[in-house]
Amino acid sequence: MNSAVRLRVEGIGKTFRRRNKPAVEALRDIDMTIAEGEFVSIVGASGSGKSTLLRIIDGLIPASEGRILVDGRIVDQPGPDRAVVFQQDSLLPWKTVIDNVGYGLSLAGMPTRDAHRIAQRFIDIAGLGGFEHHYPHQLSGGMRQRVNVARALAVNPKILLLDEPFAALDAQTREIMQTELLSIWQETRKTVLLITHQIDEAVFLSDRVIVFSARPGTIREEIAVPLPRPRTLELKRSQAFVGLVDRIWKLIEAEVRAGLKQG
Amino acid sequence: MRRLYDFLEQDTRTASLARIAISVVAVLLIWQVVSMVVTNRLLLVPPADVAAALVHEVVDGAMWTNATATVTAVVTSFVVSVAIGVAIGLALASSRMLSLTGGPVLSALNSVPIIALAPLFIAWLGLGFTSKFVLVILVAVFPVVVTTEAGLRATDPQLVEAARSFNARPMQIFTTVTFPYALPFIVSGVRVAWARALVGIVVAEFFGSFAGFGFAILSASQTFDTARVLGYVIMLGAMGLIGSVLFASLERRLAPWRQE
Ligand SMILES: Nc1ncnc2c1ncn2[C@@H]1O[C@H](COP(=O)(O)OP(=O)(O)O)[C@@H](O)[C@H]1O
Ligand SMILES: [Mg+2]
Repeated sequence: MNSAVRLRVEGIGKTFRRRNKPAVEALRDIDMTIAEGEFVSIVGASGSGKSTLLRIIDGLIPASEGRILVDGRIVDQPGPDRAVVFQQDSLLPWKTVIDNVGYGLSLAGMPTRDAHRIAQRFIDIAGLGGFEHHYPHQLSGGMRQRVNVARALAVNPKILLLDEPFAALDAQTREIMQTELLSIWQETRKTVLLITHQIDEAVFLSDRVIVFSARPGTIREEIAVPLPRPRTLELKRSQAFVGLVDRIWKLIEAEVRAGLKQG
Repeated sequence: MRRLYDFLEQDTRTASLARIAISVVAVLLIWQVVSMVVTNRLLLVPPADVAAALVHEVVDGAMWTNATATVTAVVTSFVVSVAIGVAIGLALASSRMLSLTGGPVLSALNSVPIIALAPLFIAWLGLGFTSKFVLVILVAVFPVVVTTEAGLRATDPQLVEAARSFNARPMQIFTTVTFPYALPFIVSGVRVAWARALVGIVVAEFFGSFAGFGFAILSASQTFDTARVLGYVIMLGAMGLIGSVLFASLERRLAPWRQE
């Protein structure tokens, strides 16, 4: 395993201050380190600041405290070294699949022909061959998320940030997408930070699972996932897998109860 | 019958042409029947007489003169209205301040029946092109302003965030997200503007002109030539219909995702 640090999150805190509304502290004292090629997941209750952290890492919103380093350099703006697959559907509805996948490349000034050539490669990797000229509304939810993943990969980022990418999919499609994401990760060796509220998804995919506490989001625990790779869906039935899922669920369950008591 | 409905409900060019054809035939039939009951030819003439009047107008060249006058005036003023409307809409959408201060004035102007000011405009600007031009712009510009601003403001923030995440510059966000998102809205405003422009041109021609459909309608009605009046009204109806079909199909083409 390569141990070079790819992403450092140092003392990140975020408080949303809006006029005439009480301030919301979404994140407090977040520290984490992700190695090159590592697959890390964050799980936590809804509203625990997971998406906020992802936006800060991508440079879409500023942190109130702390800093983000990619390969040792501070980043505070979006950059080609990071790409996001968003929770909500964020494809351009008036662009075809191939134009959507090549979108990031076109924005960077690449001529359409070259952008299409690269897009085609990731369309094939994502299993979208034959749908190049379809529009997003002509695709199923699972297909659209593949386009989102392909679009993020096409710009060749060092770090792939995924915000509950499969949350809107049905259980069967989600499992298929999980195994596909694993094989894409194995092929491309990206550093991946995945946000999910599905504990089994986090355990199945990750080298490490970071458990967030409820608001303000803090890191409650980091759990290594020493399960062998390559992983198949069989793994989900193994004793070790079920044990890990159970352990994380207990942590989150305690969080949820604590949240309820606080009212 | 069931299959006919299924066919007509389709969103294809053939089906929409068929819908138009059916409604035109229905109107002609009803018209024919009513004109057999109402026999006062000052009030109503049968379709055949109107067709004959139209042929007569074409043959003696009046149709050409009137059509040229109306079409040139309405198309130029309409195109300029759209350009001005989009420009004002852009300005309003890009500046909160402008929208807050200018918005109420615009909506007040929009609810005033500007068309009623036609005689005043003609007094100010004289007979001829300028008064028509200004009147049409004043009635047609507002729907475009309103839909342009609304469309630009409606942009899905999620799409903007995705663009930002790919490092898009503000101008790129405008050209690749905000504007394409607003386009179908704008076209729907343009469709309304076309209908309003036609009303504007006819009224302007009533009050101050020596050629055009509005002028022809007025002079025919002064000589109680009902067939000629209806003939020119039909010409205007056809212009309205063509514009509406054209812009509706443009709207569909620009926003195919809205149908399914
Ligand atoms: N732009 C914003 N303005 C104000 N509050 C926000 C904003 N974005 C998120 N929040 C608040 O921050 C908290 C964390 O939100 P989020 O990061 O979306 O949580 P998660 O993704 O874990 O569900 C929530 O209470 C949310 O209401
Ligand atoms: Mg979220």
